[in-house]
Amino acid sequence: MTDESLIWQGRHFVYAHIAETTRPPRVDETAAHFGISAADATELYKELHNRHALFLDLDEMAIRMANPFSGIPTDFKVHANGKTYFANCAWDMLGIPAALHCDAVIDAVCTESNESVRLEVKNGQISAQGGLSQLLVHFPLPFTQWYDDLVFT
Amino acid sequence: MLLFRSEEWVEKWCKRHNLERGEMLSLGQVWELSKLWYGNRMSLEYHGRSMEQVAEIFKQAGLTAKFWYG
Repeated sequence: MTDESLIWQGRHFVYAHIAETTRPPRVDETAAHFGISAADATELYKELHNRHALFLDLDEMAIRMANPFSGIPTDFKVHANGKTYFANCAWDMLGIPAALHCDAVIDAVCTESNESVRLEVKNGQISAQGGLSQLLVHFPLPFTQWYDDLVFT
Repeated sequence: MLLFRSEEWVEKWCKRHNLERGEMLSLGQVWELSKLWYGNRMSLEYHGRSMEQVAEIFKQAGLTAKFWYG
């Protein structure tokens, strides 16, 4: 696929679709939106995957991640704009209100203790029930290794 | 990237998975990083970024450890 304009319009459509519906568009929905064949829409998805613009489940040919949004349910739920989105990770749960430029309430879980954690982003400020002071996000790998195994990262 | 109640829980998780500890950021730091990293993600004009642009974002977010640039 060499149509650069269509590639980036495709990326934009995926993100706008998620913002509106909370889920990534299927191949057939993207094909219908652009008036192209399902085969061409599949190639469009693969091109975006190869450029790290989104991350596909290649077996299902479905969008697993369009960071910060997750295409599947996770432990990081972001309530914003009257909708509930799933984030890929503890960073992305804050990435969603950052991307949408909106307030949000976030329900997450401590990975090791399984305790629930509720956060709020309001007017650009973040707070947590019980206080933010000890809460941490652990980055296991440096940036140069993030794409070696994106699910683990 | 995973969320932990405190450093104690990070240590337990790393030990249980036999993994070395990476970098830990406060929620405030991650929020500042998120605004820089994702603030333009919905734009049609966003086409990804270069390693130099990534490094500049980490710098703006106050992340100075070698970990972020390795």
